[in-house]
Amino acid sequence: MCDACGCDLKPEHTHDSKVIEVHQSLLAANTAMAKKNRVHIEKMGAVAINMISSPGSGKTTLLEKTIEAIGDTLRIGVIEGDIETDRDAQRIRAKGVPVIQLTTGGACHLDAAQIHKGLHLLEKEEGGAELDVLFIENVGNLVCPATFDLGEHHRIVFVSVPEGPDKPAKYPKAFHSSQVFIITKTDLLPYFDFPVEEAKAEALQLNPNLLVMDLSATSGEGFEQWLDYLKEVCGKSF
Amino acid sequence: MHEMSLVQGLLTQLKELAHEHNRTKVISVCMEIGPLSGVVIDSFQFGFDILSKEEALTKKAKLIIESPPALYRCFGCGLEIEAVQRPDCCVNCSETLFSPQGGDGLILRQVEME
Repeated sequence: MCDACGCDLKPEHTHDSKVIEVHQSLLAANTAMAKKNRVHIEKMGAVAINMISSPGSGKTTLLEKTIEAIGDTLRIGVIEGDIETDRDAQRIRAKGVPVIQLTTGGACHLDAAQIHKGLHLLEKEEGGAELDVLFIENVGNLVCPATFDLGEHHRIVFVSVPEGPDKPAKYPKAFHSSQVFIITKTDLLPYFDFPVEEAKAEALQLNPNLLVMDLSATSGEGFEQWLDYLKEVCGKSF
Repeated sequence: MHEMSLVQGLLTQLKELAHEHNRTKVISVCMEIGPLSGVVIDSFQFGFDILSKEEALTKKAKLIIESPPALYRCFGCGLEIEAVQRPDCCVNCSETLFSPQGGDGLILRQVEME
């Protein structure tokens, strides 16, 4: 029986129901905000890189070593995303570059609205208004961050040697949506069963357009290729 | 995971649509969730079942999810294969590399309201 008037029509087909064609992505609001962020970041003079990985894959350490290596020649800014604490931001601040911490308070990913807020906060930091490269360190999670465009120009997915080589197969979206795949902590290869070439091949199988590299921020192995990549995306030589 | 926040976004959009079209009850919602969208259909449905009950507008709403296959383009010969899961190798040239086209939609298609 119809709930509205008590007639015999099935509830799904009441006579005054109306079908509305929408055909809009649920992510439309996020995507629109991401576009604005991209323009904002470009006005700051920067190329934005969204860093996605599991927790503990070495994203912050890589940033610390990158700042040590090229922080004098490239204006680097960082937006840190974590569920709680500003520990990562403290580590980056200690290296002398503008940084702000976004804490999501439980949410498993950053979204474009948070980055919009983050950009305004970063601009208030000393040296934060004009940058060559903006690193956005996403919440440690290989699943959810992959769905949300933040306004970045490049997306990098990281997997560290102790995590094992099967991550591309298990978390395909992060690899589909990235332009670069970096294997970190290669100084630990002697202690783990991590066939580097197999892991690279598996990632390329998911996304043949991926640029793949491996490095150790601790030993410096493979760091040249990483710095070359940054040079290229920023269009600068140093 | 992020399915809950996506459902919250959907419910907000339904409220806006109801307001815009002067309707008070959502009967059915039709979504397209592609196999490469990064969204787990069961989790999305679960989130919808819970959150839709909290509002009079969506209390009795039925969620219909369609998941159209993605198109995989062979890296070797360019053959396009329609599939829900990535093919192991190309039927034409045995190439194992494919680049997926589409299949990542997360789209609110249609809403029935009264």
